[in-house]
Amino acid sequence: MSWTLFKGTMHQRRWHLFWFSASLVAFSWMMVWFWPQMGGADYAQLIETMPQEMIALFGDADISIASLGGFFQTEYLGLMWIVIVASAVIGYASKSVATEIGNGTMELLLSQPLSRSKFILTRMAGLFAYVLTISAATFVPIQIFGPGYDIDLSAETFWMLFGLGALFMLAIGSFAFMLSALSRDGGRPVAITSAMIAAMWIGAFLVQVSDFADALEPFNLLSYWEPGKIINEGALSTDAWWVYAGVATVSLVVAYVGFLRRDVT
Amino acid sequence: MATVIETRKLSKFYGKHRGVVDLDLAVEKGETFGFLGPNGDGKTTTIRCLLGMLKATEGESYVLGEKVTLDGSALRRRIGYVPGEVFMYEKETGRWMLDYMSGFRGGKGAREAELIERLEFDPSRRIKELSKGNKQKLALIIGLMHDPELLIMDEPTSGLDPLNQEVVFDIIEERVQAGATLFLSSHILSEVERVCARVGIIREGRLVADENMRDLFAKRQRELSVTFSDVVDPSVFGGVKGVEDIIAVDSRTLTATVTGDAVDELIKHLATHRVSDVTIQHASLEDVFMEFYRDEPIETAAAALGGDAS
Repeated sequence: MSWTLFKGTMHQRRWHLFWFSASLVAFSWMMVWFWPQMGGADYAQLIETMPQEMIALFGDADISIASLGGFFQTEYLGLMWIVIVASAVIGYASKSVATEIGNGTMELLLSQPLSRSKFILTRMAGLFAYVLTISAATFVPIQIFGPGYDIDLSAETFWMLFGLGALFMLAIGSFAFMLSALSRDGGRPVAITSAMIAAMWIGAFLVQVSDFADALEPFNLLSYWEPGKIINEGALSTDAWWVYAGVATVSLVVAYVGFLRRDVT
Repeated sequence: MATVIETRKLSKFYGKHRGVVDLDLAVEKGETFGFLGPNGDGKTTTIRCLLGMLKATEGESYVLGEKVTLDGSALRRRIGYVPGEVFMYEKETGRWMLDYMSGFRGGKGAREAELIERLEFDPSRRIKELSKGNKQKLALIIGLMHDPELLIMDEPTSGLDPLNQEVVFDIIEERVQAGATLFLSSHILSEVERVCARVGIIREGRLVADENMRDLFAKRQRELSVTFSDVVDPSVFGGVKGVEDIIAVDSRTLTATVTGDAVDELIKHLATHRVSDVTIQHASLEDVFMEFYRDEPIETAAAALGGDAS
């Protein structure tokens, strides 16, 4: 890894990362603040008036919406959070390689004593830094501000949310990173990864409302992200860890191998 | 003498599109080599292959005695590269760029301050505020500040005013005198003529000439104009090999083209007459260059100068 490149990368992305993190801190704090006002029986009554298909838009329809986990999943972590955080990591991933090539700055970087291996591994380290920062920006405020608003998550639950949230975003970010390492235009990784997330979201919705799409569920990354269940039950399927870690690993290996073999101008 | 740059049957294709084809090139230590050719004929492709940015379709390259690999980095510590088109991080300042690039080499460039002063560059300004010429200055400082053994430059004076071009040529010459090797790619003929002792001409991805600059000029035509003291017949040059296209401007003045080594015999022949004025105009590199880019097959152009278009 190149420390110079890492510092330069984080310096150039500092405002991007800052605004995403600040937004997530504010959003998390706002949701914590909303819970005593919106949650409980009144909230359950409101939700029950909605069709099951609409509830399914925000994630697992099986979970009790009136519960703390159901509230967070429906209002925040089931959809909005995914959109915000995926935007952050996909943006980082596309700029890491493809945009550098498209803008011509890769030529300047790789004319310095910087090997391709160091370049790509350092940019991967940047992706790790990104997902850890935004996962912390999401879940630390819930843990810090929660007790003041009748939300008391155990340390184990917090670490599960933090860890799985980071790994989920690492999987998405790594996929975009892989496309970035194989492209010379930053728009392509953004478009393909966004389209893939949209397709998975539609797939997850179809699974909730129809048996027809059940066969696709194991291949849908979104179906393993069940923050409501983690908050309510303090447990989750080990499949989620394996699937996200597997997708991230395969994507990053392909990115590494592909980048080392390709033309970079 | 050590070979600093060597390519062996180097070919690069972009899909079906030709980059360079079967390029055999050798540049020795301390040489100043000009790589001439119009845009799109493979100069930048060659440089990018030498720097390990492009994967050669066939053949191989050696730089400073080491085989060029896509993942190499140690080699580039000894190379100063100035790209043809300068792309930098627009939001950052020149100072930030210099520090960032220096970071990859483990410290500030020994000649950074001197180059900033000589090129009158203001590093405090943001890249997006810089003119093309100032961006070029920054690229030159980045490429030269660590006293590299090998300078690879792709049209280094592009966008610079004549005064700064002179400064750049002076800096390059100082580096060459200090032992550095220069590989200068350009389509600006005066630039190559100014600093290079040897030139390779690339056409449609193939090297059609690789010659000493002096030899290259010697092989090309010169324009001769002679005014005799007495009336002469246009057949006065008859029998002098290499003197062609004789035109009688008036009864005493003749013009002709002189090719190759005919000058010596011509002078001796003229000495047998009373001559009141004589001018021999050397072909500029531009004239030489244009010879290669007439609408004729590559093989013909290469053969004209003893190059190898195979």
